[in-house]
Amino acid sequence: MRTIIIANMMNLNKLHNLAIRPIVGALASVAVVACGGGEPSTSPDRPSVVVTYSILGAVVSDVVGDAADVVVLMPNGIDPHEWEPSAKDIELLNNADLIVSNGLDLEGNVMEAIEAAEKDGVAVFHATDHIEVIEFGAGGDVHGDEEPHAEDEVVTADSVVTTEAKAEDEHGDEHGDEHADGDPHFWTSPVEMAAVVEALGVALADIGIDTGDRAAMTKESLLNTDQEVRDLIADIPAESRILVTGHESLGYFAHEYEFEVVGAVIPSFSSEAEASAGDLATLKETIADEGVSVIFTEMGTSPDVVEALAAEAKVSVVELSTHFLPEDGTYKTFILQLASMISVALQT
Amino acid sequence: MGNFVRPFLDNEFLQRAFLAGVLVSLTCAVVGTYVVLRGMAFIGDALAHGVLPGVAGALMIGMPAMAGAAVGAAVMIGGVGLITSRSKLSNDTAIGLLFIGLLALGVLMVSSADSLTGDLEAILFGQFLGVNNSDLVAQSIALCFVVIVAVVASRPFLLLCFDADLVSAMGYRAAWYHRLMLLLIAATVVVSFQTVGALLVFGMLLAPAGVGALISKRIGTMMLWAAVVGVVSTYVGLMASYHFSWAAGASVVLTAVTIFFVVFTAVSIRRSVVGDRS
Repeated sequence: MRTIIIANMMNLNKLHNLAIRPIVGALASVAVVACGGGEPSTSPDRPSVVVTYSILGAVVSDVVGDAADVVVLMPNGIDPHEWEPSAKDIELLNNADLIVSNGLDLEGNVMEAIEAAEKDGVAVFHATDHIEVIEFGAGGDVHGDEEPHAEDEVVTADSVVTTEAKAEDEHGDEHGDEHADGDPHFWTSPVEMAAVVEALGVALADIGIDTGDRAAMTKESLLNTDQEVRDLIADIPAESRILVTGHESLGYFAHEYEFEVVGAVIPSFSSEAEASAGDLATLKETIADEGVSVIFTEMGTSPDVVEALAAEAKVSVVELSTHFLPEDGTYKTFILQLASMISVALQT
Repeated sequence: MGNFVRPFLDNEFLQRAFLAGVLVSLTCAVVGTYVVLRGMAFIGDALAHGVLPGVAGALMIGMPAMAGAAVGAAVMIGGVGLITSRSKLSNDTAIGLLFIGLLALGVLMVSSADSLTGDLEAILFGQFLGVNNSDLVAQSIALCFVVIVAVVASRPFLLLCFDADLVSAMGYRAAWYHRLMLLLIAATVVVSFQTVGALLVFGMLLAPAGVGALISKRIGTMMLWAAVVGVVSTYVGLMASYHFSWAAGASVVLTAVTIFFVVFTAVSIRRSVVGDRS
């Protein structure tokens, strides 16, 4: 039996950026006490694995099977950039046998609690330690190595400069938890996910949780899913494999399946950054130059801004669930849905 | 020169953002001057936050955000009026209570509804670059309303600002005009929060009007300067957002606040040099 607990959430991060921070902090603690939340049903005699967010949680559950309780902290569909743990969540982290996190600052507000738990001797597994990380600025620059025409180069150089400048601007100021190291959205590639699963199997064995051959099986099933994704997108002609996204969340998908991410409404790995006129104007030009027909947006990106840009550039908008687990709760359905939506949108 | 005009000609979203910014600036110039002169900044701030539960509630049940904001503002103003008229508690205690109460309610509503997470930022910081035509229409109506009220009630408002005791002596009902002024602030916040956001509209209420109050003693001239500072801030802020890729709403408000401090410094220096004590 595995138990997945959707912990109570207090999504206050936005408010924390403001002058009212102390007030909201006080309210949050009151609210946490008031709402209490469901009792964690981890039994003391079984090991517990705490995973930060739902998509990774689904895969971890597949690997762990019956060998431990798997608890997912963030409710499915919550923006992990924004979520904050409650007191109960921190208790779960401290009592875990293994914490599985994404890393690369995706769970900006949970990292402190995870680090504290790690100091107290809880084993921590950062998924992105086991993948080939896409560096900042490279997300909009995943060229399939074909026909690097001059104009393209200019646009790319430009966007790299702006994103780097932005990283410097925002480093340490009010956007203090901006991602500095690399793109955290590795789950958009089943191949990277398979690499994580392999490493996770080893990590689980290290702390004495025996999962048999489940890690190998999960890995194999992920690689099969990868093949299904390739079949799904096979019909998209090379010249249509251009992506414009909400924030930069499809870097790994693009890298794996030879798409080019030419721009993002908010050129940041984090949905917390805000739109700027300069970025929008650059993106509008890029959309015209590259013949982009659709903007893929997602949770956390302002729908008003995307609509305004799409109307002006005369392209359509397709909303992807890049941070959502679908109803059946499986990673396979998640990635296939993502791929098929992209495939359909780019071929109409 | 091309760098300073061309972006606006090329990009419709910038034209709409600028137009919205100008409308917000003009509305805030009139209302903000009263806010600054009468020391009503706290109720302005409270209104800016108090709309949060209204907006969250409206979004949850699929109503227009503006309707929810109006309900939030009405509860705030009505509640403050009720507490101050039925008890000996001071105005700022009443405002503070409703402010924190509504904010807490808003935070609870937003945090217990998964679907609202992305919208919180939009409520507080607005969507300057996502302004649509209906936003512009609403903004224009608010401006007309504010200007008409300010013209019709100019004399009692003037007395309220400079000598509140005289208002009743002159045969005006002070409480009534005070409420009318609150209504103007509420209307400005409710309509403008979608453009510059609930928090930044507060900045546009205070900073340009503050400049006006620094450099003029006549209420009309103050409003004029406030309007100029607001429009210039909108332009400079959007340019900065364009050329340096800064967040749009914050750039505009930061420009206005910077202008305030530059003018403040200049006025201070001039005073100490000229020795003008007025």
